[in-house]
Amino acid sequence: MNASNPSSSAAGAGSADSTAPRRNSKRPKYSRFTQQELPACKPILTPKWVIGTFLLVSVIFIPIGVVSLFASQDVVEIVDRYETDCIPEPSRNDKVGFIQSNQSKTCQRTLRIPKHMKQPIYVYYQLDNFYQNHRRYVKSRSDQQLRNNGSLQETDACKPEDTTPGGAPIVPCGLIAWSLFNDTYDFTRNNQILNVNKRGISWKSDREHKFGKDVFPRNFQNGTLKGGATLNPNLTLSEQEDLIVWMRTAALPTFRKLYGKIEVDLQRDELINVTLENNYNTYSFGGKKKLVLSTTSWLGGKNDFVGIAYLTVGGLCFFLALVFLLIYLIKPRQLGDPSYLSWNRNSSGH
Amino acid sequence: MKRYVYINDDNLAKDIYCDNRISNRKYTILNFLPKNLWEQFSRFMNQYFLLIACLQLWSLITPVNPASTWGPLILIFAVSSSKEAWDDYNRYLLDKKANEKEIWIVRQGIRKLIQAQDICIGNIVWLRENDEVPCDLLLLGTADPQGFCYVETAALDGETDLKTRSIPSACMGIDVDLLHKIKGVIECPSPNKDIRRFDANMRLFPPFLDNDIFPLTIKNTLLQSCYLRNTEWACGVAVYTGNQTKLGMCRGIAEPKLTAVDAMIDKLTGAVFVFQIVVVIVLGIAGNVFKDKQGRKLWYVQYPKEGPWYELLVIPLRFELLCSIMIPISIKVSLDLAKSLYAKFIDWDVEMVDPETGIRSNAANQAISEDLGQVEYILTDKTGTLTENKMIFKRCCISGRFYGNESGDALTAKVGQFHTRHYPKMKKPLYVLLLVCAWFWRIKTEIFLILTSMHLQCNMKYLTLWSSHLTGKECLWWLGNAKAGNFSSCQKEQMKLFFLLPILIVSGQQVRTFAEAVEQYAQMGLRTLCLAWRKLEEDEYQEWTSMFKEANSTLVDRERRVAEVCQRLERDFEILGVAAIEDRLQEGVPETIEILRKAGINFWMLTGDKMSTAIQIALSCNFVSPEPKGQILIIDGKTEDEVCRSLDRVLLTTRITESESKQDVAFVVDGWALEIALKHYRKPFTELAILSRTAICCRVTPSQKAQLVELLKLCDYRTLAIGDGGNDVRMIQQADIGVGISGREGLQAARAADYSIGKFRFLKRLILVHGRYSYNRTAFLSQYSFYKSFLICFIQIFFSFISGVSGTSLFNTVSLMAYNVFYTSVPVLFSVLDKDLSERTVMQHPQILFDCQSGRLLNPSTFAGWFGRSLFHAIVVFVITIHSYAFEKSVMEEVAMVAVSGCIWLQAFVVALETNSFTIFQHLAIWGNLVGFYAINWIVSSIPTSGMYTIMFRLCEQPSYWITMILIVATGMCPVLALKYLRYTYRPSRINLLQQSERLGGPILSSGIIEPKSRSSLDKDIPTDSVYEPLLSESPSATRRSAGPTQRLDSVQSQSPPHSTHTRKDN
Repeated sequence: MNASNPSSSAAGAGSADSTAPRRNSKRPKYSRFTQQELPACKPILTPKWVIGTFLLVSVIFIPIGVVSLFASQDVVEIVDRYETDCIPEPSRNDKVGFIQSNQSKTCQRTLRIPKHMKQPIYVYYQLDNFYQNHRRYVKSRSDQQLRNNGSLQETDACKPEDTTPGGAPIVPCGLIAWSLFNDTYDFTRNNQILNVNKRGISWKSDREHKFGKDVFPRNFQNGTLKGGATLNPNLTLSEQEDLIVWMRTAALPTFRKLYGKIEVDLQRDELINVTLENNYNTYSFGGKKKLVLSTTSWLGGKNDFVGIAYLTVGGLCFFLALVFLLIYLIKPRQLGDPSYLSWNRNSSGH
Repeated sequence: MKRYVYINDDNLAKDIYCDNRISNRKYTILNFLPKNLWEQFSRFMNQYFLLIACLQLWSLITPVNPASTWGPLILIFAVSSSKEAWDDYNRYLLDKKANEKEIWIVRQGIRKLIQAQDICIGNIVWLRENDEVPCDLLLLGTADPQGFCYVETAALDGETDLKTRSIPSACMGIDVDLLHKIKGVIECPSPNKDIRRFDANMRLFPPFLDNDIFPLTIKNTLLQSCYLRNTEWACGVAVYTGNQTKLGMCRGIAEPKLTAVDAMIDKLTGAVFVFQIVVVIVLGIAGNVFKDKQGRKLWYVQYPKEGPWYELLVIPLRFELLCSIMIPISIKVSLDLAKSLYAKFIDWDVEMVDPETGIRSNAANQAISEDLGQVEYILTDKTGTLTENKMIFKRCCISGRFYGNESGDALTAKVGQFHTRHYPKMKKPLYVLLLVCAWFWRIKTEIFLILTSMHLQCNMKYLTLWSSHLTGKECLWWLGNAKAGNFSSCQKEQMKLFFLLPILIVSGQQVRTFAEAVEQYAQMGLRTLCLAWRKLEEDEYQEWTSMFKEANSTLVDRERRVAEVCQRLERDFEILGVAAIEDRLQEGVPETIEILRKAGINFWMLTGDKMSTAIQIALSCNFVSPEPKGQILIIDGKTEDEVCRSLDRVLLTTRITESESKQDVAFVVDGWALEIALKHYRKPFTELAILSRTAICCRVTPSQKAQLVELLKLCDYRTLAIGDGGNDVRMIQQADIGVGISGREGLQAARAADYSIGKFRFLKRLILVHGRYSYNRTAFLSQYSFYKSFLICFIQIFFSFISGVSGTSLFNTVSLMAYNVFYTSVPVLFSVLDKDLSERTVMQHPQILFDCQSGRLLNPSTFAGWFGRSLFHAIVVFVITIHSYAFEKSVMEEVAMVAVSGCIWLQAFVVALETNSFTIFQHLAIWGNLVGFYAINWIVSSIPTSGMYTIMFRLCEQPSYWITMILIVATGMCPVLALKYLRYTYRPSRINLLQQSERLGGPILSSGIIEPKSRSSLDKDIPTDSVYEPLLSESPSATRRSAGPTQRLDSVQSQSPPHSTHTRKDN
């Protein structure tokens, strides 16, 4: 930035300063603020500065982009979309009917580990086209009720899943809790059960402050219309981690939620068998369901966007810097040339 | 129409007329709330916000807590109502004090002490010295045997000189005791606001003089709020009381002025509103379609099968609320804040303090500073505004001999000596006349000098008597125009009458000399005064006096009839001589006018003075360039035809020269021709007014001045009227901006004005520095306010497309409120300190003001630029946020905070990029605000019950959060910077060019430069410009010959007075 001649403005202020107060005692109080003469830095966009900035941005951005991209590439991610495959062939014409029937919904999937996966390996379920951010949905919860045993009756916001037909409050109330995801996954490796740790998958702050340690589920999923999973009525809400995770509503219609953690390394080309209960109805609205196994990096999960964006911006900045430099060299233009002032042009014409 | 006041009649008046209770209050306790709210809600913006706030109470549709709108709304309303209430309470206290003041009045013939509010029409009120007059009184008696008393009228017209008031002749010699019992009837007009006229008459009942109607004038009245001075006591009958007094009628709350910028902002707000409605309709339809096509399939949302009747409206209304932030509620608050600071800067400016008197500049109207930067026409008074209004007796011509030369004032004594020697016979009438003039022209000291040298005894009483017949102003007018007459009975000298008249009426050989003298003096820019006299015989005087009295007591059309009567006397005068009085130009006037003319401001001079003097002053203060560049065209004529022809001719010439655009054309018109032109030839005159950059209107009345302002305003020009006297008040109030000079003619103009300054030359700083900066700053501030609102609103709109078009708000209540009130208001708070160019550069290149005048910084296209920028930034923030916070990171609260942070970072950089000069405050505000943002959010995030608990801590620990922020800033700012750089370098605006040359220290000189001066030397410097004519300054080395009778004088029409050529050579 070109902090150009502060000297001139300072000098102007200084001269006024020395003469002003002496002339008249009735003058308004003089200060640099009241006279709008505070010393100021007046940057202008010189080619040097602008080209320098763009170069600097590109020099910083391209390495960050590369590093981010590498971080993302390091993450091993297995995505298994199963919502269609887990419906037996004959029922595929009427998926909704199948999911709402009482038939067995157990389904076997086999996953192949493409690369060595270091523990912890996060198990997510991913839903597509599921609007957890829908207005009717996102507001349908009662934080007081979740936190406090005394606030069982605060179900105003929860409609239509607020009370049982008899008027007893549902705990936890609201559409979010009611529609709790209820597919389950069991992993086996070489016919040995692969343990999935389901503790500590929710935020600690949620367990401790948002979901009460003395609040037990009541009247949950007792209605005629059954939503999603049921809850163990003997566990407090703060221990119902699946619920806690689910109730951190997603901002996007495509989201992943943590199912559990596998705390052993998985080797390359190992086969993992997943026994899943395909209970959750995404078929009515054409939603996808995916099972995701992923390691993590310092940037989080696999996400190439940041790296690519950084490389693009860095590259563009480099390109712009180059173009500006070329223009500057080919067609230099003196800054502040008074001959460009329109009134000077006019008068020189005569 | 008329009111009859029965003096001293307790029974009659009470019911008909109001009592003397004064009330300046706007509200009472009962009606305060409804009335105040009604007033506030008459503004569109407030109605809009109220509607939004009410809609938010409906929990079905509100996206956020209603507090986010109600809070700021109530705050805004509370602030402005409590300000109103406080003002009103103070007014009430003042009223109460005035109403409960104890006053002596007469009841049933006995003097009683009552409260001022109980005075009735017809009561006789007794006042002591230094009492304030409680209501409008007709004077009946004073302590002075001659029936005079003195009043100070400062509260009424701002003039501090004592005025004399006299009792009507009918009451002359009535004994004090009898005054208690006086009865009579006064016929006076209905209450009106004219403080200069009281055309009434009075008849006293027996035993007092009967059957004789006596005329009454304003001279016989004591008006409310004046003070009785130098008079032991006075008594009078109440004619107007309470709020019907002259002062009460004059009062009234001035219409708030709306600046061009405000109007533009209103227009843009309207456009935004329409846009918002369109968005709401589109989204509403999309939302309902989605709901029917998709929404019902979302089992987890549980849409009921049958909705209520208003179901279709719910989604559009939700979007209306979601988009309501598009019109920023904070804009009014931040603009008001900024405007009051602009006004303070004007008050504080030490460079606009008059060094002689110490009078500061003052911005009485805080709301219109931006308009100063957009002025296109300046209409200025001459006397006291351009000139100092210090009358110095410079020269005179007595019986064909010229006295006086360059060296100025000292000549007066010499004239006296000369004159005594050579014209002993003439001296007395001449000097009495001069004395009379001096009385009005306030050049007392010098005339007294003569008087003492002449040992001329003259009783000051005559002057008092004399002035009691005419107000000072009228007399000044008459004398100044040398038009009408006055009389005095100066017994000692055995003279009945003196007359002053226009010299040209008289013919004859001797007159030629005087005619030349007048011409010559006028061309020097002096005010001339012809002194002539005639002896009147006793009977002629009596006859005339009775006619004069009769004319003076008419109720209708009094002024014209008096003038007619006066004209009867104006004949067969013997000319005594011509006196010339100089009214020096104020310091710095020519260069101020030149700079402002360069800045593209057109000047009109409106003066009551005569044409040649006006033209001369115009030439000497750069109103018109001298020949051959400048051209003065005169519109004159006495009849319609003449005026029409003259106007056509001038218009034609102007059109031709305008197309060549080399010449500087000014037209001159006098009051008479102007009257005709305005009445019958409005269209051509308007065209001429638009074409011609300069106009000189002489001999115009106050109402014509106001009419001319109106004319220009109708053509959609921003007008500034500047004046110093009471005759400029109407023009000042009429104009978009009124500037008053706190000069010698009292404070009347300064009070009525929006700005008052001490000297004309401060106008340049007021417009070029304060006006220009204010405009630039407001232009940025207002557009930025819309930018940040659009930014967050667009993000909400985009989010609605990924949330099932259901009207979910991405942001929570706290963030939304803090975003508007705090995060985005603080960084721009100090943009009121921003200076795009230094004051010095602006003064050197006044042409840069054109950018402000034409509104280049705030108009639909710049607004579109900001709109586009906010759209682009919203896309950047939204796309980057939802992609980098996708999948497992996509938690509502986190995504919202990332988006808000992105907006805050971007807007900080936008403000930084748009700031031209960074003072420490701007750095603090811009970067401190970022710190503040995190601090606030950390605090909110540490409250367990808040929805945002731990969110901000979690985010700040993630590297991906910071990487996202950097990405958002770079992506958002790089294109903006690149575009700005390209434009800055390859298509620079004029401001950019000057910035570059100013800051790179390169050559700033342009061909139209005015020699730069250091501020300290400004006071002493004589302008070096070639047009400047030092005639009116005290230049000891004057090269002009002493004006003698032999010098050939050109007529005014020659357009080039010979001496101006002289001076140009001299320089």
